Amino acid sequence: MLLINKLIFSFLYLFVFFNANAEGYVKAGDSLIWDSNNKSYTANGDVEFKNDKFIAFADKMIANYEERNNDEVFTKIELFNNVVIEFEEETFKGNYAIYTREDNIIKLVGDVSIESPTRLLTGSELIADIDNNKRILNSANNESLVEVLLENNAND
Amino acid sequence: MTRNFSSKIINALIIFVIIIQFFIYFLNQKPLTENYSKKTITVENFSSIVLSNSGITKIGSEKLNKIDDNNIYLEGKSYLENKEYKIYGKDIKINLNEEISNSNEPVEVINKMGLLKAQSFKNYDNDGKIFFEGEVEFVINK
Repeated sequence: MLLINKLIFSFLYLFVFFNANAEGYVKAGDSLIWDSNNKSYTANGDVEFKNDKFIAFADKMIANYEERNNDEVFTKIELFNNVVIEFEEETFKGNYAIYTREDNIIKLVGDVSIESPTRLLTGSELIADIDNNKRILNSANNESLVEVLLENNAND
Repeated sequence: MTRNFSSKIINALIIFVIIIQFFIYFLNQKPLTENYSKKTITVENFSSIVLSNSGITKIGSEKLNKIDDNNIYLEGKSYLENKEYKIYGKDIKINLNEEISNSNEPVEVINKMGLLKAQSFKNYDNDGKIFFEGEVEFVINK
């Protein structure tokens, strides 16, 4: 009986361990190109990217990586067309996005919006500083910056 | 006079025989080379090492078919392994001269970043580029 308990515990431990170590994934509907000379991956068609910070969707993605301690890690992610990034309870949308691992900042441009459970903001450029939990939304002109209170907030 | 004439005939005959020998030698050599290069060699449970742009690549398959001097076909379950990647697939064609390998069968690739699964691949080893077509899933390690 004790042996069975140990086996079950070991199995659960291994299951949790391997799932915890899975940092993320890249999925592409059409193609993926691995360029080892330029240290990049280019994904095309219904691209889905997930790391330990956020999950992103776009038509195209170019991800640059570098070698650190005999491992390869993504350092810069560029997303093109119909970009949607889900970070905790927020959803960022835009035409182009760039994420840099070094400073954990996501920058979106072109018909940008940021949606949270309580409000929707739109503009032309969004800078989301994940580490400092700061959002900067810029507009091309004063009229393009819009704030919309969503229904959940209106009921409060 | 007669002796002189006979000696000329013998010399001419010797020269003629030598020329014939050259022809025989030349005609014997050429077809042998052609037949050899067109022959398809098949080896089962094959593994070997190829020196390419990525360094030493180990290749293996259930059956190897040598199409010609530059092209080989890895039939059945096959693999290519080097310091950059491990490609596990099926029915892989390799052009040794251009250093291109490809397959239209599902493939799994393990590299330093993770495990990639795709529907087909084309590997341009000289350029350091691998194209994966169709639905691709790349699970990234920690």
